[in-house]
Amino acid sequence: MATTARKSVLVVTRHAHQGSALGRSALDAALVSATFELPVTLLFQGQGVLQLLPEQDCTEAGIRNLRKVIESLPLYDITPIYVDAAAAARYALQAELLPPQAQLISLDRQRQLLADHDHILGF
Amino acid sequence: MPLHTLNKAPGHNAFSDCIERLAADDALVLLGDGVYAALATTAAASRLAASGATIYVLRTDALAAGVATRLMSEATVIDDAGFVALTEHWPQQMAWH
Amino acid sequence: MIYSLLVLAAPTSGHASLTAARFAQAVVARGHQLKRVFFLDDGALTGLAGTITPQDEASALAQWQQLGANHEVELILCISSALKRGVLDATEAERYERNTATMHPDFELGGLGLLVEAMQTSDRLITFGQ
Repeated sequence: MATTARKSVLVVTRHAHQGSALGRSALDAALVSATFELPVTLLFQGQGVLQLLPEQDCTEAGIRNLRKVIESLPLYDITPIYVDAAAAARYALQAELLPPQAQLISLDRQRQLLADHDHILGF
Repeated sequence: MPLHTLNKAPGHNAFSDCIERLAADDALVLLGDGVYAALATTAAASRLAASGATIYVLRTDALAAGVATRLMSEATVIDDAGFVALTEHWPQQMAWH
Repeated sequence: MIYSLLVLAAPTSGHASLTAARFAQAVVARGHQLKRVFFLDDGALTGLAGTITPQDEASALAQWQQLGANHEVELILCISSALKRGVLDATEAERYERNTATMHPDFELGGLGLLVEAMQTSDRLITFGQ
């Protein structure tokens, strides 16, 4: 893997935390891509923005706290994280509720991200 | 731009998320339950046509769903080899599911 | 070109897994190299050895098996997805003190690193969702 240029990866996460393992898998795929030094961009789209809700308390539910995982992403150089602005507005996720490294982006900018990477993982 | 694929029926989030981001120079392959989006004279088909994107429907799935003879006129039916040929042309794929 | 696939669809939910397997056959038929198929989340159920498909339905397991056997395609089940769903190879069955392996021998367990490596080394990565 050392000899060729790194392929860039866009991970698009579109499912809410509850009722689907896809959100967790998207974050894992992004983290492992970063560990292997592939340039990785993470985009929360549609219902996927609900993974960003603060104050997730998963102790009673016995599941992973995605917001905690998301807050650890800068440690792996996955920053900023991009957030579908229209979806955030739809679910009343004001900017101050989002993790500090979140950037709200328009549909046009999202389309641009889709075109700008070698591979897309759509979760 | 990527090749878009959609395998959920209209009414599902995947359909609306996909169509909101579809532009005239895009191509979309409908597979699985996604083929229902191309049913002629439906609201979903009108939205697909209005996007201006090139719409492809996977033959096996259209036949299985019973929509093969009721497709919107703008849709092109492709077989598995045709699907692979599209992925040869488009460098990335975005799977809406 | 070199292709790899990511399969998120369970073999039992609709026919997405069969569609993916047909796509895989067509990739090979068009002269491309299909390097690896990575099965993640419910996709990992594809490697469950004991599945019985009714006679009037096509078996996703059989289709994938054929690809692995005839075209040297690596069939990798995400190890954490597989373990969670009870798909264990002999090593994991022993490690977790289960009576028997439940994974079909044509598949292998592997980490997400193998998906990332497939992206780095493939020209195309095609995802098949649930």
